[in-house]
Amino acid sequence: MIEIRFHGRGGQGTVVASELLAQAAFLDGKIPQSFPFFGVERRGAPVTAFTRIDDRPIRLRTSITRPDVVVVLDPGLLRTTPVTEGLAPGGLLLVNTPRRAEELAAPPGVRRASVDATRIALAHGLGTAMLPIVNTAVLGALARATGVVTLEALGRAVEQFVPARPAENHRAARDGYLGVRNADPAAAAPVPATFAVPAPLAHPEGPVASVSSEVIHTAAWRTFTPVIHLDRCTKCNFCWKFCPDAAVELGADGFPRIRLEYCKGCGICAAECPPKTIEMVAEA
Amino acid sequence: MTMKVLSGNYAQSYAALLARAQVISAYPITPQTSIVEKIAEFVASGELDAQYVKVESEHSALQVCVSAAALGARTYTATSSQGLLLMHELLHWASGMRAPIVMGVVNRAVAPPWNIGADHADTMSQRDTGWVQFYAESNQEVLDTVLEAYRLAEHRDVRLPVMVTEDAFYLSHTVEPVDVPDPATVDAFLPRREPHAVLAPGRATRLGSFTGPDHYVDFRQDVGAAMERVREVLPRVEQEYLALVGRDLGGPLPTYRTEGADVILVTMGTLTTTARGVVDDLRAEGRKVGLAKLRVFRPFPDDELRGLVRDVARIGVVDRSFTFGRMGPAATEVSAALYTAANRPELTSFLAGIGGRDVTPHEVRRMFETLLSGEAPATHWEDIEEEVKADG
Repeated sequence: MIEIRFHGRGGQGTVVASELLAQAAFLDGKIPQSFPFFGVERRGAPVTAFTRIDDRPIRLRTSITRPDVVVVLDPGLLRTTPVTEGLAPGGLLLVNTPRRAEELAAPPGVRRASVDATRIALAHGLGTAMLPIVNTAVLGALARATGVVTLEALGRAVEQFVPARPAENHRAARDGYLGVRNADPAAAAPVPATFAVPAPLAHPEGPVASVSSEVIHTAAWRTFTPVIHLDRCTKCNFCWKFCPDAAVELGADGFPRIRLEYCKGCGICAAECPPKTIEMVAEA
Repeated sequence: MTMKVLSGNYAQSYAALLARAQVISAYPITPQTSIVEKIAEFVASGELDAQYVKVESEHSALQVCVSAAALGARTYTATSSQGLLLMHELLHWASGMRAPIVMGVVNRAVAPPWNIGADHADTMSQRDTGWVQFYAESNQEVLDTVLEAYRLAEHRDVRLPVMVTEDAFYLSHTVEPVDVPDPATVDAFLPRREPHAVLAPGRATRLGSFTGPDHYVDFRQDVGAAMERVREVLPRVEQEYLALVGRDLGGPLPTYRTEGADVILVTMGTLTTTARGVVDDLRAEGRKVGLAKLRVFRPFPDDELRGLVRDVARIGVVDRSFTFGRMGPAATEVSAALYTAANRPELTSFLAGIGGRDVTPHEVRRMFETLLSGEAPATHWEDIEEEVKADG
């Protein structure tokens, strides 16, 4: 049995990726199982999905904590989520990023691969620059890097089950297959960042109401950062009024400032700004 | 038959399609929504010839089904968690009016705190509403059980509503291979509904109107008697399903490797799959353990359970919900069933998987080892007690 864990964001096609992989494995004659985990169902929220593939019926109904392969659809998650958790030596980390695979942080002995799926998706008109739909390009790369499914079966699964633009998605899968880059196994890997898990909150009235949501930094959702060009700002406060997360605060001088620890990068401030002084800048 | 890779939710949708449900009414709620979205697609494309009634709440959705069923229609709806709780009043109406509705329920935790994970508190708190309850282990079992449920619900000796439940995410959003039978095969097993005692224009009939103490008790007793008759009708329905479709669902309490077992674990829903692997591992080590899947919760399989524990020293019951002031609800039922058993094994109520927690093979193994140790407590919160140990 091979166990694959996907990390992505709501709207990127993470769940569809895990299901398409299952469909492709089935077309290859294997027995698949796939399911997602999500807390908040919103565009941009971190999403995890799991796929198991075996030659016989799968007798586990749990999430995957010791994956053979980790697939990251959004490189921004590398900063905020412990994506390589449970990944053992000999496992594979595949990341959608323009960077070289040698630059990816991984635990010792983990193989690394990268693919610029965002560029491929946009070249085929899949999604927008704000939210490219990278799943099929990433699956092509996964097929090549692992051999877990054939490109032929993946292509058939894409044609049959992708709800929109099957032809473009098929081509994106092929380009991802061709574009995957494996790291030189001899190249040393930077060690992944450690993430402190918050301790359970002790409170006499129970664990629920003991803390303000102010301590929950929701910036993990962001892929684009708003940058305000204050030289053209008229202090109209529209950005402050429209921000759905109250992530804009007004200084004593009347100018707005973005609280990046809460900003999800939705771009509503940029859209509402009358003199268009807010620019959405892609994060690396 | 065609093999498709389907989610548990789509298994419900395909079953409603194959059953040729005539009236569908539902209100969306996570993680159920994709069931009725798929059915809406079937209706929109003409694949399913049904009336799809959009409503403003789950309460109204079930009211539509109750009324349509009274007029003789085959009906389907689906819900989950808070939506099922909002239906509570109409659940009683459905059984009292003997409406043979089939409803898919995705078992999801009840708020607060808000949670969309797998948990049986939603359906367990509806166990006294007069509905037959099935709990499914796989997407295949979801599809097969919904088809059987119509035969059972509409059977002349039953005429009660049936809910077919599936664990949130572990089935609802899990895709896996499912054999979808041919429409002609299903038609042979499940012909169109023959309406009984329904309302019709031009004929004076009343359903559910005021009834004083002189007769009310008769109606209640009738519901109880119909529920008892499920015990006789279900095996016959399953025999026919086996003959026509080729799958044996194993009755209300299917067992796994219980021969010569000293201890038995009773599980429900998806936890059963993980536990099968653990039983194989322990058997390979020479430990005498077995598994029983509580597939039908209402009516409760008392006789099957008493037969099962004849030579068993200890039984564990795993509940994915908790009855405040008691133990797990399935454990409560098991102990009630065992009161009159010739052999009464000691019993442990395990609480595990609450609010969508993973129940891993490691945890199931620990439950068996607790039972085998002979010093198992009456109630054991699997997740919490282990966390405390890990912290300490």
